[in-house]
Amino acid sequence: MAKEKMTIGEVSKPRFEFRTFGRDFTEAAYLMSRLSGRVPEKVWERQSTETYIVSKTNDVNNTKIRDGKMDIKTFVQSVDGLEQWNPLMKGEFPIKAEILENEVFPAFKVEMPKLDKSEYTLEEFMAMVKSNPNLQAVTVEKERFGYMVNDTICEVANVFINGAMVVTINSESTEVDDIKKTISDIKLESVENINYLQAIKRITGMTDKKLAN
Amino acid sequence: MVTTIQPRYEFRIFGNDLEKFEEKIKDLCKEEMTRNMDSVYLLTPWKRKNNIKIRQGVMDIKNLEQEVNGLEQWNPVLIGEFPMRAEIIKTTVFPALGIESPIFEREEYSLKQFLKEVVSIDPDLSVAYVWKTRHAYSIGGCITETAEIKVNGTSVKTICIEAEDPEKVLEAKKMIGIDDKTENVNYPKALKRFMGLTQLPDEWNNINFYKIKLKKWQKKK
Repeated sequence: MAKEKMTIGEVSKPRFEFRTFGRDFTEAAYLMSRLSGRVPEKVWERQSTETYIVSKTNDVNNTKIRDGKMDIKTFVQSVDGLEQWNPLMKGEFPIKAEILENEVFPAFKVEMPKLDKSEYTLEEFMAMVKSNPNLQAVTVEKERFGYMVNDTICEVANVFINGAMVVTINSESTEVDDIKKTISDIKLESVENINYLQAIKRITGMTDKKLAN
Repeated sequence: MVTTIQPRYEFRIFGNDLEKFEEKIKDLCKEEMTRNMDSVYLLTPWKRKNNIKIRQGVMDIKNLEQEVNGLEQWNPVLIGEFPMRAEIIKTTVFPALGIESPIFEREEYSLKQFLKEVVSIDPDLSVAYVWKTRHAYSIGGCITETAEIKVNGTSVKTICIEAEDPEKVLEAKKMIGIDDKTENVNYPKALKRFMGLTQLPDEWNNINFYKIKLKKWQKKK
């Protein structure tokens, strides 16, 4: 079967991803920038602020809110150390109580709060998150630099987790072998695959593990 | 044995863009020394008047004595080094944390045992692993420090001015160019913000990327 051509910013089949977090990926980032093909100007440099909702009781659903929109991805499988995540739900605030009841809180895997309104604003939802000891809202500010290596979508980013800085680097594609070649080319073969959820848990002290460097 | 030293007034800031203050400090005096050290901070989500840390295997607790003109006076109390007796942990450490002491299964704990068997299983306690590169200066009779710190793997900077005389600290602040609107943020407060244990103020919630020039990978070292 022919490989799917990866295009930055366009919908594709669920992608596999290698991502890691640490303080210094200077060499890998340099190699990535030199090996990169031409990328659209709109992804040269992007900035965003997001709120991740992290649950102490869940490692398989990744929830983030950006510009009043909620996006939950769920872990599908791991192949050769690469992770595949699929969209589970997308919603917008104000959000209906039944969506919170049937999709959002089940994804957090925490006890359902009492919902006595038909819909909830972002502020009301965040108040529910704050009052739940198993949930934590984390501010994530990103300065992302996009590349394309071996037909995989790549980026290096400065990420500020509640104001503290860390660097992330990633390669994603529908094709596992293309990602593996990219990891090899940028000399990150022995480096742990750490997704956003895990990185945030490590940084906020929910998990007692270190980042890649 | 518990020992005390003279409490000092302190003003501290954290951020990613402290370059103008760092430059000013370097203009005013020469760096006296650089030290690397790691510390483990014990934190709870509640507001406490304590700063509890373990540095190089030694635990100390700083108590906030008073606040004067935006400065905090901290009184350090050396608790002791690990291995530490359970009795000291029970009667000194947990009261300072403001949480109920657990039942201890050992008479004495190594640092590793304390973190694994006491701290990590307590849902009210969080740990911040902090690695510091501290640069020491002396400005206007104040101990002044700039530091690059790593908090649970992330990077941030801090600047601190401290002295027994609060007037000297206020004067040194002016010399460095830190204005009166700048918030005094102590270590526990900053760490709790990074770790999401307390809400972030707006000014911590809006990174100005253009001020932070970190694109070093765009040219090889």
